[in-house]
Amino acid sequence: MIIDLNAFTGHWPSHPVTGDLNSVRASLHEYGVDRICVSPLEAAWCRNPHRFNEALYRTAGTFPDVYPVPVLDPTVATWKKELERATRELRVKLVRLLPAYSPYALEAADELLEALVAENLAVIIQTRLEDPRRQHQLAQVPDIPAAEIANTAERHPALTVIIGGARTGEIRGLKDRLLASPNLYADVSQCDGLDAIKVLVEEGLTEKLLFGSHAPLFIPYSALSRVVTDLADEDAAAILGDNAERIITW
Amino acid sequence: MKPAELKEKLKPAWPALDVHVHPLDCFGLTKVSSAREDANLLIESARRSGVEKMCLFSLHTTCPREPTVAECIEANDYTLTMRDLEPDVFLPFCYVNPMYPDESAAEIDRCVQGAKMVGIKLWVARRATDPGLDPILEKAVEYNVPVLQHAWIKTTGNLVGESFPADVADLAQRHPKAKIIMAHMNGCGLRGIEDVAHCPNLYLDTSGGDPDSGITETAVAALGPNRVVYGSDAPIRHFGVQLGKTLGTTLPDNVKRDILWNNTARLLPEWAGVDTI
Repeated sequence: MIIDLNAFTGHWPSHPVTGDLNSVRASLHEYGVDRICVSPLEAAWCRNPHRFNEALYRTAGTFPDVYPVPVLDPTVATWKKELERATRELRVKLVRLLPAYSPYALEAADELLEALVAENLAVIIQTRLEDPRRQHQLAQVPDIPAAEIANTAERHPALTVIIGGARTGEIRGLKDRLLASPNLYADVSQCDGLDAIKVLVEEGLTEKLLFGSHAPLFIPYSALSRVVTDLADEDAAAILGDNAERIITW
Repeated sequence: MKPAELKEKLKPAWPALDVHVHPLDCFGLTKVSSAREDANLLIESARRSGVEKMCLFSLHTTCPREPTVAECIEANDYTLTMRDLEPDVFLPFCYVNPMYPDESAAEIDRCVQGAKMVGIKLWVARRATDPGLDPILEKAVEYNVPVLQHAWIKTTGNLVGESFPADVADLAQRHPKAKIIMAHMNGCGLRGIEDVAHCPNLYLDTSGGDPDSGITETAVAALGPNRVVYGSDAPIRHFGVQLGKTLGTTLPDNVKRDILWNNTARLLPEWAGVDTI
């Protein structure tokens, strides 16, 4: 079972992608991905990111393997209504926060995060969507430090918190906190470097790592290669899907 | 799909020749204690992804942006040590600093003419528009070896001596007989590809940056299928992740094979011993 916890659909203004959901699904199916959790890319740039969730529910609803991941923003006045709407979608298992893009400090999301606990939903909090060195000159968005997401997980111990888009070095730097926090995990969609995942597995982090592709912005071949190339099959299987199967209430 | 099946599916149908690799002594998450250990770790990781040969260049163990002549010599000696340990795998490039044109020319004589290195590496000491590069390029033409020049377009600002793609195009036009490989396709991006498309003696390596979708197809459309070459920038980057920029594209198989091997094989001198496939 391969579960992609960090995929997207839609358009990205500074880089052309083939982001319709059919194409994203096909690109991941080619490599055996069974379950795809997707968020709308356009939400990052909308002053009210909630505006794209309804369309996501409609499109995702036509595919049994697609799990919509709505983007919620605690600084939009109607976030409670938006969360309530999300809970009526049976295949919403986690929600996404894009604090760098709103922007807001993660402390501003504390009430929302506690509400997620009550609804038995997990959260993926994205550190970055795009390398800051390659962003549009007039639309520069600094990364959210992964350590701030670890702080958030520690403030909400009953909530499953996934760090989205952290790089290998950042995850390695959080090793002790990942191991100490049973509710904290990291997706590997932006890990790179020689033996990028192998070094994390050797640090004892296998159970804390989750597969994400960052499709359609990134190439699915690369996403799968970084996990399976260097690992024993059982470690790869854990990261590709077994861990996600265990920590999310499907 | 099980991991074992997936591994099989991801395996390249052809061997890959990586045009852009550094020793772990310079970069990476793993510290090494010897050139032997460095070679072993690079080779093991490369082979898992399907990379059989690597163009290798050290930027010195401390990676200074403006290395002294002595630091370049030390870096090149390390590269040669790794080549001598694994001559069938490593294809050494000579690292020089255009701040020291005469000394660089002498170092190229030592490393290329003398020690049979197969290319020249330029990094960020001076932009490619700097006249200090000219004697280096003249040596490259004399010995018929390619020059690999770092380039990026950084939103956050290039380093003072860091080349933009347009600078590398300027270099290619100043030296039309030279074979120039511009590094970092994704760092140069959709704009940088257009900046160099008009230079027939300029090739683009796929190394570095994230595995963004669609860029390699754009590069092949703009430069033609024979002017794009596979590079990873390992150990800063992962061999397989970077291979995805070729193998995970919609390009036809013959073009993928050329990017992974033949296009670089054609640029290397005869003594590199790399035939096309």
